[in-house]
Amino acid sequence: MVQIRLQNIGTFSMGDIKMTDKVLKVKNGDTVASVNDLLKELLKSKKVQALLVMQEVPSKAMSFPVLISDPDKLNSNVFAPVLPVSTATIISKITKVESASKPIGVVMRSCQIRALVELVKLNQANIENIVIIGVDCLGTFPVNTYSDFPEKATPTEFILDSFKKKSDVVKYLRSACYTCKDPIPSNADIIIGLYGMDPQKELLIQINSKKGKKLLEGIQLEVSKDTNDREKAIKRIREEKAKNRMEFIKDKSNIKGIDALAKFFDKCVNCHNCMKVCPICYCRECLFESSVFDLEVNKYIGKAEKKGLFKMPSDSLLFHTTRMNHMVVSCVGCGLCEQACPSDIPLMEIIIPIGENVQKEFEYNPGSDIEKKVPMVIYKEDEYQEVGEK
Amino acid sequence: MVIEMEEFEPKIVGFLCNWCSYAGADLAGTSRIQYPPNVRIIKVMCSGSVDSVYIMRALLEGADGVFIGGCHPGDCHYLDGNYKARRRAVLLKSILETLGLEKERIWIRWVSASEGQKFADTMKEMTEEIKKLGPNPIAKHWNI
Repeated sequence: MVQIRLQNIGTFSMGDIKMTDKVLKVKNGDTVASVNDLLKELLKSKKVQALLVMQEVPSKAMSFPVLISDPDKLNSNVFAPVLPVSTATIISKITKVESASKPIGVVMRSCQIRALVELVKLNQANIENIVIIGVDCLGTFPVNTYSDFPEKATPTEFILDSFKKKSDVVKYLRSACYTCKDPIPSNADIIIGLYGMDPQKELLIQINSKKGKKLLEGIQLEVSKDTNDREKAIKRIREEKAKNRMEFIKDKSNIKGIDALAKFFDKCVNCHNCMKVCPICYCRECLFESSVFDLEVNKYIGKAEKKGLFKMPSDSLLFHTTRMNHMVVSCVGCGLCEQACPSDIPLMEIIIPIGENVQKEFEYNPGSDIEKKVPMVIYKEDEYQEVGEK
Repeated sequence: MVIEMEEFEPKIVGFLCNWCSYAGADLAGTSRIQYPPNVRIIKVMCSGSVDSVYIMRALLEGADGVFIGGCHPGDCHYLDGNYKARRRAVLLKSILETLGLEKERIWIRWVSASEGQKFADTMKEMTEEIKKLGPNPIAKHWNI
């Protein structure tokens, strides 16, 4: 049995409990296996009844979240740089009807934790017995890049390696990851930290809540050195991403005005994939999947006669603008919409600037504060008076 | 020779709440107050029930303006529907601004059941403003 070694490197308090940062020693330079051993320990000790964690499929071509209860079958890869589906959506699916009776551990990226926090606030998920294990995110590749990775190294090796030395990893990153709002998980019970650490040697295990503390209780831990570099590294990566983001949305000429917009969505085939994969689009039946917009034949002809012609199926711009209205306040920038688009429409180029402006307007940062209500359910009596009466 | 141009008459879609603005429009009618016939009124139960999809659909189908009428703040029949409608208008206008579309085509105003004159005045004012803006450029697009 593998011994998991953790060490105290300083304490801070949160409410009435003492929180302690620890360190996970990496065995034989194998980062993935060492985290897998820690997770196996959690399953074996019955601290969690099951784990939701990324695991490679037998062909190794993809990694998917698995809900796993048998520790012997656990072969997780929490660093696999791919986000095939939203883990927040999965947790919503399994907890919407009732909360779990015993703890379930879920290993998530920062964007997915943000999405989960939004879903909890929208009454679409229950995290009562969900223990969130956040992993510092190094970014993800598009599904096809991940499955047919053009480099010698595996995608996981490549991205962990990129962390140590400058590499051309940026060219493979999804635009959502290149412009990530924050790759460091917030609202996690435990954080497995990479930034400021040497992933071949040791990883940070940060405990952020009572739930997290309870989860790691009794697990054999051992000593390592301090992590003073972490704060600096976090500051650096956040600044880098913010800079990328600003540069990415600087040129908005491709989304300004009706001509540009029509061109932007020219390739849209009305498949609604962007809505189906979005963690925030939670409606059981989307308005646009219903027959609300189906007309009688005479009305179609009337519409054709008005303009002379119109595109079929119509309403693609109506769909996209309405979808934005419904989800952009809570948009966490995971970029699954863009990844799911069969026509390769660069949706992040439109979603990011709209999200930035709307969230600034309502002073709202989705996924950051679980207590703060979503802007669309609250109001102040004396706000925005210039909108109501000029 | 002077060619007389037909004056542009904007098409305005108005969503009026059942309890205040629709009654206000009714009062304008029964009081025989004259106001421009440019507005096409749709009665809704509450201004808070007007989803952005209805507003966007009107604009994308070529309406030159969209008017949302609700009860005065504090007077909503459902307590806070108008406050929520106002927030949604802020959201929609922010999105339209980012997309370079004309947010000035969307108006949200409070008209009570006793304000027939105010309804007529608001309609006059809005029709004038939309005339200045000119026809909705989206109307000619068939490929959206």
